[in-house]
Amino acid sequence: MSQPKLRLREVRKEFAHRGDTFVALADATLDVRPGELLAVVGPSGCGKSTLLDLLGGLTTPSSGEILLDGRPVTGPGLDRGIVFQQYALLPWRTAQGNVELGLEAKGLPRAERRETARRFLDLVGLGGFADRYPHELSGGMKQRVAIARSLAFEPDVLLMDEPFAALDAQTRESLQDELLRIWRATGATIVFITHGIDEAVYLGQRVAVMTSRPGRIKAVVDVDLDVSAPDVRSTDAFGAYRHRIWSLLQDEVVRAQQHELAPREDLAHV
Amino acid sequence: MSDLLLRQRAHARPAEAPAEPAVLVPPRAAHAVRRAGRLAVAVGLRSVAVVAFLLLWEVAPRIGLVDPVFLPPLSEVLATTRDLAASGQLGEHVRASLVRAGSGFGIAVVAAIPLGLLIGWYRTVSTVLSPILEAFRNTAALALLPVFVLVLGIGETSKIALVAFASFFPILLNTISGVRTVDPLLVRSARSLGLSPLRLFQKVILPSAVPTIFTGLRMAGAASVLVLVAAEMIGAQAGLGYLINAAQLNFQIPEMYAGILTISVIGIVVNYVLLAAERRFSRWRA
Repeated sequence: MSQPKLRLREVRKEFAHRGDTFVALADATLDVRPGELLAVVGPSGCGKSTLLDLLGGLTTPSSGEILLDGRPVTGPGLDRGIVFQQYALLPWRTAQGNVELGLEAKGLPRAERRETARRFLDLVGLGGFADRYPHELSGGMKQRVAIARSLAFEPDVLLMDEPFAALDAQTRESLQDELLRIWRATGATIVFITHGIDEAVYLGQRVAVMTSRPGRIKAVVDVDLDVSAPDVRSTDAFGAYRHRIWSLLQDEVVRAQQHELAPREDLAHV
Repeated sequence: MSDLLLRQRAHARPAEAPAEPAVLVPPRAAHAVRRAGRLAVAVGLRSVAVVAFLLLWEVAPRIGLVDPVFLPPLSEVLATTRDLAASGQLGEHVRASLVRAGSGFGIAVVAAIPLGLLIGWYRTVSTVLSPILEAFRNTAALALLPVFVLVLGIGETSKIALVAFASFFPILLNTISGVRTVDPLLVRSARSLGLSPLRLFQKVILPSAVPTIFTGLRMAGAASVLVLVAAEMIGAQAGLGYLINAAQLNFQIPEMYAGILTISVIGIVVNYVLLAAERRFSRWRA
């Protein structure tokens, strides 16, 4: 196997909270292969968002290391693009302007920014909406803009933090297909964080299952499905994968619920 | 100024946009007609009270409800205003007042916005400066007028300084609140792009704070006219405050009302201009 694109080695993240130490992530170890779409699924509060912040360089691990193409990640950078659940579009900029943001950070000249942003808006199917402000776009369209923005500066890895969780079911399914199409068209390496098992099975070539807090990578399941088949979600093979991941998660969900009911001393994960 | 903070809160952007607004174009023509109708009703309703007040002003002195010497009918006041304007006197007073208000306001803008950005962004600057600013903010500007006169003399400087002082705080407080209420997700997202702190400020913090800053500018505009008139009443050779006060002392009652009316119109115009600017810069708000 070729060198992993992104490698987590025993990454641990602790937060101090009212004198206590609270472990959000414990010894997470994971390799992301170049060009793969890896889904990460876990019970709520398992440190998925912490994991994403670490990958994005927004926080640093307490111990362990994160390597991108063999080089340690030390901070945020344009080699990784993040798509947030809540879109995070600048409301005073048009779709075009939002896509250009990352290109400005990259230092591209104006004409090139415009042209590149156009191209990526076309890629996500929003070529005709370049001049719309975010409040003039539907949730699904906003998320397309956010995806275009993160793809436009051509990061090595695209990190997606439950990007479709706030959308209605139909929009979500169409965006999932859209994402697969974009992924195939661009050959991007994508880490897709979700709490939806179906979504993970449908999108992921591999699905990493996390434990409840403190978060660990419990197992990585290879998914070999032809998702272009009609209604693949109803097939037995899909169901089998689904069940396998569900079983892996089941114990964790129970544990997570016990956590939830326990006195709240764990607010620091947000 | 006590409800300033409350108003600032109300101004904070809702965290969440509606999930799936339909992006449909409504049938234009029918829409336009209905809109025109609604607009006419709205304008009518909004004018009722003003028209009634002006009518009362005209009628009450004429039918002896009030002494016409102390409150001349509106038509008489308007005639006097016209005469004052024709003789160039009114223009001179207006100019004097506007130059003072404009200079003071300008100084406040230039000082308060950068300071507000610093305080809003840097926790330490805020900790150091907040107590002293809080003390000044709660000192009525007019209470300081004698001090300004004592230190800066009775000329233009003291009046401009007073206006600057009074305009400073609304702008400062709103700028601070504008910076502090920036959606943290936008900051996180911009940081993930590796933007330097300066670029982050320029591309995210500042544009996001603009609407709130404009609210401050509008409040400062009102405050500047208010304190200026008071200052001009105390010591000045020109200006609307002077006009009003001098007219009253000389028992030129219609002239006094002409001055008051002019002030009121200026206040409305200033507010309107700032409101229009605010809209212009906040068009992206849903």
